Amino acid sequence: MMAGRVVEIAEDGRHLAKSRGFLTVSADGAEIGRVPLDDIAAVVASAHAITYSNTLLVALAERGAPLVVCGANHRPAAVLWAADGHHDQAGRMSEQAAAPLPLKKRLWAQVVSAKIESQGATLESVGAPHEGFALLARKVRSGDPDNVEAQAARRYWPLLFGEDFRRERAGGGVNAMLNYAYTVLRAGTARAIMAAGLHPSLGLAHRQRGNAFALADDLMEPFRPVADLLVHDVVSGGATEVDRETKPELARILITDMSSGDGVSPVAACLERLALSAARCFAGTARKLDLPRRTLPLEG
Amino acid sequence: MTARRPALSGYRMMWLYVMFDLPVGTAAERKAAARFRKFLLDRGFEMAQFSVYLRFAESKEAAETHIARIRDALPRKGKVHIVAITDKQYGNARIFAGRKRERSAGNPDQLALF
Repeated sequence: MMAGRVVEIAEDGRHLAKSRGFLTVSADGAEIGRVPLDDIAAVVASAHAITYSNTLLVALAERGAPLVVCGANHRPAAVLWAADGHHDQAGRMSEQAAAPLPLKKRLWAQVVSAKIESQGATLESVGAPHEGFALLARKVRSGDPDNVEAQAARRYWPLLFGEDFRRERAGGGVNAMLNYAYTVLRAGTARAIMAAGLHPSLGLAHRQRGNAFALADDLMEPFRPVADLLVHDVVSGGATEVDRETKPELARILITDMSSGDGVSPVAACLERLALSAARCFAGTARKLDLPRRTLPLEG
Repeated sequence: MTARRPALSGYRMMWLYVMFDLPVGTAAERKAAARFRKFLLDRGFEMAQFSVYLRFAESKEAAETHIARIRDALPRKGKVHIVAITDKQYGNARIFAGRKRERSAGNPDQLALF
């Protein structure tokens, strides 16, 4: 299974096109780089003045690689989605749309529980107190009516980034780094959802009504703490903002190894398995989401 | 798991060299040779030299997939060598242009930033 590479266009004046099996990037009429189309997990467009050839957009859609168009602070404004991502897309989307509320609530509880466990693992990795998180994860009931997710978050952020830290989407510094890592994670999740034949707008948690990427935002939750750990490491290394040095480190989120039923796989592969298991749950052929567990850091 | 440690091991990452010597005596042979060359380009192989194409593969499994695809697209005549080496071995390759040493391509970053 391919983990795939993330292509980001961060400078103005770039033109993206397709040449044989490659995405080519040009500036002032001269090619400055190329990436094999089959290796691309997602293209993130964060600069303002970018042009594209239609042939390239078709080639990306054919491979299920989303084009993420970003607004300010690396927050995604739009995703170009393949019209036909899976051979049984229509069938799977109708099962997804017809999924009864109790089922969605049960699945949401599994996601929240896995996220809280993952937060505990991230805190453990950085040597912070983490003991309460396993207990909190077990407290999550169907639909998370007690909002254990928020209780965990209130404890988690100060333990990870210090008492003064506030998670703000529009913030700079650490907040912008988190946005960046989440954008890459969201693109990988979007690709997995598309490949599983599901619709991104029909989420599990009702709180996200109106969000066009509700399901992507739901399924990426247990992986956010892995991204948080990458940000923590980059910040510990002295970085203070999203720049040319930190971006490649944060983009590693999709190739970070996690353990699952099939052994150790990168996050990108875990997302594919999770999305497929969600499709099976909607179809009524499975009851549990295929959620990864956190492994200890690999010695490299 | 952390940013300081490589998530992909240098022993798992592979490079594939495809080297070929195809007959170009007749129009049909030239056409078959051109088709094979275009096939390699479509699959993301880049020309290292005339008749020598190179591609990065993120794992042994990915390399096997590429090799299987090439086998399905082989021209009827001519000779094709496929050599798979680890990223570590590729790092030891010495490349010269004229008498000047050139740096090898290096393995691609997870993020291609332009």
